[in-house]
Amino acid sequence: MKKVFSVMLFASLPIISLFNACSKEDPEIVEEQELITTVILTLTSNGAPDQSVRWTLESADTPTISLQVNQEYKVAISFLDESDPQDIEDITEEVREEADEHQVFYEFSDVNVSYISGEGDTIDEDNNPVNVNTLWTVTDSGSGSVTAYLIHEPISKISSTRDGFGGETDVQVSFPIVITE
Amino acid sequence: MNQIKFFVPLTLLALATVKGQLCSLTLEGRIIDLHEGTPIFGAVISIEGTTLFGQSDERGYYKIPEVCKGSLKLKITHEQCNTIEKTLFLESNRNQNFELEHHINELNEIILSEAAVNQLNLSLTESRLNAEEIAKLSNDNLAEALSGMAGVSVLKTGSGIAKPMIHGLYGSRVAIVADGMRLQDQEWGADHAPNIDLNGFESVQVVKGVATLRYGGDTPGGMIVLNPQKAYLADSLYGASVINGVTNGKGGSMSAKLTRTLSNGYYYSGQFSLKQFGDRKAPDYILTNTGLKEYAVGMRMGRNKIVKGWHLDYRHFQNTTGILRAAHIGNIEDLLRAIESSIPLRIDPFSYTLDAPKQEAKHQNLQAHFFNELNDQSKLILNYSYQRSNRKEYDVRRGNRSGQAAIDLTLNTHDFLGRIEWDKNFDWNFEWGLNGMIQDNFSNPETGVKRLIPDYIKVQAGSYLTGSYRPSTTFNWEWGFRYDQIAIDAKKFYDTKIWNESGYSSRFSDIETKDFGTQILVNPKLNYGNFSGQTGVAIQLGKNLTTRFSYLHTQRAPNISELFSDGLHHSLATIEYGNLLLDKEISHKLLLGINHTGGSLKYGIEPYVNWISDFIFIQPTGVELTIRGAFPVWEYQATDVLMWGGDAYIEMTPHTNIQYKAAAAYTYAQDQLAQNPLINVPPFSLSQQLSYHFPKSALEFELAHRYTAAQKRFPNTNFYISQIESGARVQKEIDISTPPPAFHTFDLYLTWPIQQQSKVNTSLRIIIQNITNTTYFDYLNRLRFYSAELGRIAQIQLIFRY
Repeated sequence: MKKVFSVMLFASLPIISLFNACSKEDPEIVEEQELITTVILTLTSNGAPDQSVRWTLESADTPTISLQVNQEYKVAISFLDESDPQDIEDITEEVREEADEHQVFYEFSDVNVSYISGEGDTIDEDNNPVNVNTLWTVTDSGSGSVTAYLIHEPISKISSTRDGFGGETDVQVSFPIVITE
Repeated sequence: MNQIKFFVPLTLLALATVKGQLCSLTLEGRIIDLHEGTPIFGAVISIEGTTLFGQSDERGYYKIPEVCKGSLKLKITHEQCNTIEKTLFLESNRNQNFELEHHINELNEIILSEAAVNQLNLSLTESRLNAEEIAKLSNDNLAEALSGMAGVSVLKTGSGIAKPMIHGLYGSRVAIVADGMRLQDQEWGADHAPNIDLNGFESVQVVKGVATLRYGGDTPGGMIVLNPQKAYLADSLYGASVINGVTNGKGGSMSAKLTRTLSNGYYYSGQFSLKQFGDRKAPDYILTNTGLKEYAVGMRMGRNKIVKGWHLDYRHFQNTTGILRAAHIGNIEDLLRAIESSIPLRIDPFSYTLDAPKQEAKHQNLQAHFFNELNDQSKLILNYSYQRSNRKEYDVRRGNRSGQAAIDLTLNTHDFLGRIEWDKNFDWNFEWGLNGMIQDNFSNPETGVKRLIPDYIKVQAGSYLTGSYRPSTTFNWEWGFRYDQIAIDAKKFYDTKIWNESGYSSRFSDIETKDFGTQILVNPKLNYGNFSGQTGVAIQLGKNLTTRFSYLHTQRAPNISELFSDGLHHSLATIEYGNLLLDKEISHKLLLGINHTGGSLKYGIEPYVNWISDFIFIQPTGVELTIRGAFPVWEYQATDVLMWGGDAYIEMTPHTNIQYKAAAAYTYAQDQLAQNPLINVPPFSLSQQLSYHFPKSALEFELAHRYTAAQKRFPNTNFYISQIESGARVQKEIDISTPPPAFHTFDLYLTWPIQQQSKVNTSLRIIIQNITNTTYFDYLNRLRFYSAELGRIAQIQLIFRY
């Protein structure tokens, strides 16, 4: 019996020594691969000044989009990964390459703006525009907002509501809009 | 006459007169089965060279009066047991117990009978699945198989992932013990099913509370103990196979095991299981991407020499589980859309393909076990296990990255458990043990997604002492203490912003290791000391009535997920954060059990109350704005919780061919600080089974019914979002709190023993679950917002025993 107890006590020594045993090496930092940190809308038009609005997680205020009634705007959306300032990645390329799996959608509230696919847009295999490049038509003055979506694996590619597209939201950002005469 | 013979030697008589009572001593005690601890009836104990003898009664007691002082040669015989001889020196009246061992052939029968599994804790009620029940449930996973027991419920993530829940507690609060060692996998995640195949085991014991401090003192919920088949001690070859074909999911499973035993005690056994399913089906739609692939292999060899033995064991378990495609969402508006839709938002045609989202788990276990009975009273048992658990989780990702795991964790655990069991005499038993564990987690950085769980090393050392006092079969007192020291050394990257905002930067500036700009590497070193204790009594009040009363004190250090979790959950669109400031959780649990066992009537009622201070749980704390929109943030916190409830069961045999069983369970859980009900608490449930045994054909027919009430007590964790509807912004409530309504399900079992006489014992079973094809939703299914539970499932099962 005594022998057994001493065996057990002996066994407890390595158990206790485990506490000082080892320490882990410093882990590697993870390169986030699918991050989108920035959304930029570039608006150009013939009669009105060009503008570019940026949405980033860091910026406290979202810039306002100023539009003029009865104008047409070419709107290009781009998605960037700026998590590493030394290596800014343009995710828009990925969206264009995987046109079948992506859809850009704009939803306006309290303002009358309509849009269609524009010059330079990517068209997917089923002939549906991805709406990376769009043409906006402004009809009435007022103020409201636009929400830009990037939808991944949508169920439908033709819809006028977010619900109709289904899929998962990869990006959802809102910009205030002011439309003047 | 006989006694006179004894009094003859004059010298002895002379001595006797000196002391006055030389031949008036009494030798008494009990004769007990060496392996079972149960009394042996009808054993004869005789004193050699005399005609004195005694015989054990039903309770194993014997008594020999008028024994002389001096050295006695005793012989204990029983027709079914090996005779033992013993020499004792008798000085005064003595209480001496003996352990007998059944003959080898008898022993096999005993070992194979259900009773061969010792009850883990006599003062706690225990539920059990035997080999036959395991075969019946062979197509199910562990949690589903146990869900028929009162007080056991299942926390599900869709149709394929299930975790057992005992008395409303799960995860780190429930221990799973396989073949004498605790299963070390990623048990802390609500969507991590235990990596174990039920078919590799012969019996399962479920104890609602810390069954034994041997396996840890940190599980206020309970313990699930899986026992492998014990080996015959004879030349034999035996095994069993089960084949299941299932309509729902167009799949099935098969498992087989084979054991070779030799009369010299050596044995070898092998076991495997395979399981595959395609997309499962709810009553009205296909559940896209809910297939499953699983395989398990087990090998074992060892030697059993009754008093001494060893075995080596290797188990490999691997599965890939698809997660409902529609449950992978981008943000909370997607969640709202899913909740508002009556069907899953993505339904594809039936397929066996497993796409993202899915989980891949791989668990390997290598184990060595040794025991040696040092003498009649003490036994040394040593166990060592090495477990390697890898978990990969795949999300739907952009840029062809869906094939790349988003979570890739490898957990390596070395665990040692050594113990000494000491029977001082038959009344007092003690057990002392030492437990040491070292665990290393590695999170693969190649995933391209921030680590959900950091790299860490966890070291745990513990020691326990338990004992029991059993002066008679009608009374048993058990007690125990355990102390564990736990050290966690983690290396974690925090988002610099979160590190500063949470106040960690000022509190824990000393553990900052390296600043990477947007991220910061820190090295938390945490230490916890856990003390656990328990005591309980079992008293037999009448012939068939036993009451049990126990108090269990457990302390649990926060687990890795509670401390460090950091990431986005795609199925619930929540951001989850661990909490470095958590303290250990302290639980006091009182359990009462009143159990009646009779010939045709068995029933039991088991109320309990559980007070847990610093109970760790996760709850919403705010909203975080991301590029995908606003996300609710859920953070681990501590509160005080009061839980109480009760389980009840009844088994009746009103007629020799008819059996009726029912079990009910209720749990009340209240967050005492917030004065709110606790989340994910199982609602009241009642299950009933009525079976009829056709006397001639041996056909058995069983109808099972299960009623699950609606959970009326739940916290409100709803939140509001602003959404554009018809060109205008509206506020919408996202209701993720309201539990689904009550439901009834009916199952049917038909068992037909085709061939019982020959060497191969074959039986056929037809199982139909959810006969009525009812659409229902389970509150404890975390994906209940996306789809209903499975519809009708028809299954055909063939069992061979050879």
